[in-house]
Amino acid sequence: MTEVEFFFSFRSPYSYLAAPRAFALRDRHRIALRYRGVIPMAMRGQSVPRAKQLHTLRDVKREATRLGMPFGPVHDPIGTGAVRCLLVAEHGAEQGRDREFVLAAGRGIWAEAADVARDRPLRRICERAGLEWEGCRAALAEPRLRERIEANTARLAELGHWGVPVFVLGGELFWGQDRIADLEDALAAHETAPAA
Amino acid sequence: MSGLVTRRVIPSAVIALSTVSWPARGRAALERARGGRGRLELFFSFDDPCSAVAVPELAVACAARPVDLVLLPVAERGIPGDPAVSDKRREALVDARRRARRAGREMLRAEPLEPGDTAFLAHWAAAAPQGQGLEAFCLRALAALWFETAGPVREADYAAIWRAELHGQPAPGEAAGRRPEALMRRRGPYDVPAAVAGGRWFFAHDRPAQITDWLDELGWGVMA
Repeated sequence: MTEVEFFFSFRSPYSYLAAPRAFALRDRHRIALRYRGVIPMAMRGQSVPRAKQLHTLRDVKREATRLGMPFGPVHDPIGTGAVRCLLVAEHGAEQGRDREFVLAAGRGIWAEAADVARDRPLRRICERAGLEWEGCRAALAEPRLRERIEANTARLAELGHWGVPVFVLGGELFWGQDRIADLEDALAAHETAPAA
Repeated sequence: MSGLVTRRVIPSAVIALSTVSWPARGRAALERARGGRGRLELFFSFDDPCSAVAVPELAVACAARPVDLVLLPVAERGIPGDPAVSDKRREALVDARRRARRAGREMLRAEPLEPGDTAFLAHWAAAAPQGQGLEAFCLRALAALWFETAGPVREADYAAIWRAELHGQPAPGEAAGRRPEALMRRRGPYDVPAAVAGGRWFFAHDRPAQITDWLDELGWGVMA
């Protein structure tokens, strides 16, 4: 089965916008969509200028309206909150519930101002995603899951990319929530191409 | 407490305020009442393949509306000190090729241009008066740079286009060429192509639908 990698950050509102359509690719195409959560850019030593931060919030609001998604109030999860979500998402992927958790956490952070650095809001999101809190809490201290996140982050750098969301299909990269249509064109071509 | 302000209060307020449009709509209505036209400032770079896609698209969108397209060529663009600048240049080329293909155009150039290769074009264009001649020159030069050739950029070829469209010699002027960069920083954009209208700015290659929707909301809709 064709694999599509989906590089995602809980600190990226563009990732939040992309996630519902990214996971829906599983429903429409015969693909294995591999969720790859990465450490936020601002925690990887890449500074984000103030002008860019402000523009991102305004632009995402407009795009969210166009997509019929809520955006705001928000609670920036940079730091502990983002890492906790990454760890729980890896645990969720092992339970076959990465989609449910990523969507629930995205909505919590970017539309309900959930402070995911605190247990109570995170627990509510986990339960909304159908995950048991005890398992999620154990995941927060699981070195194996942390290594996986670091490997995902290193893989994105190896691919020569810096931001998210990014999709990878057969070595070709598609950057941005607004480039999913390009990815779908490539998937369609991939699906109709004769086997080598 | 300060964490709550920076992580929650300020970003949520920025989002909420970004939806307020009545002051811009009011200013636009006043301009129409005076018999004036709308204005869309487009910051772009000749060495940027995304600009080569966005400028013709927005030229068409503005021509269909009572909106003046103000072309502002930027010689040096991007976030100062950005460690990913060369990766971004390659990504821009891949992305622009896909966008162009969607519009039925094939980009010939397969390698990024360096800003120094086309700085002279930005300086010429920045020193010229706005109008149809400048627009025609910019469109032809961008097409030549990205869609018609893949080789080195020769000043003489572009001087010929200049003579054909603006009927004179281009004026070299680095000082004039820096003005659009300064204006871009004041308006808010930190990279090109960026369109500014009614106090809002958009990345022009990413958001053509948002831009035309905003012009419509301001009352600068397509003319019958």
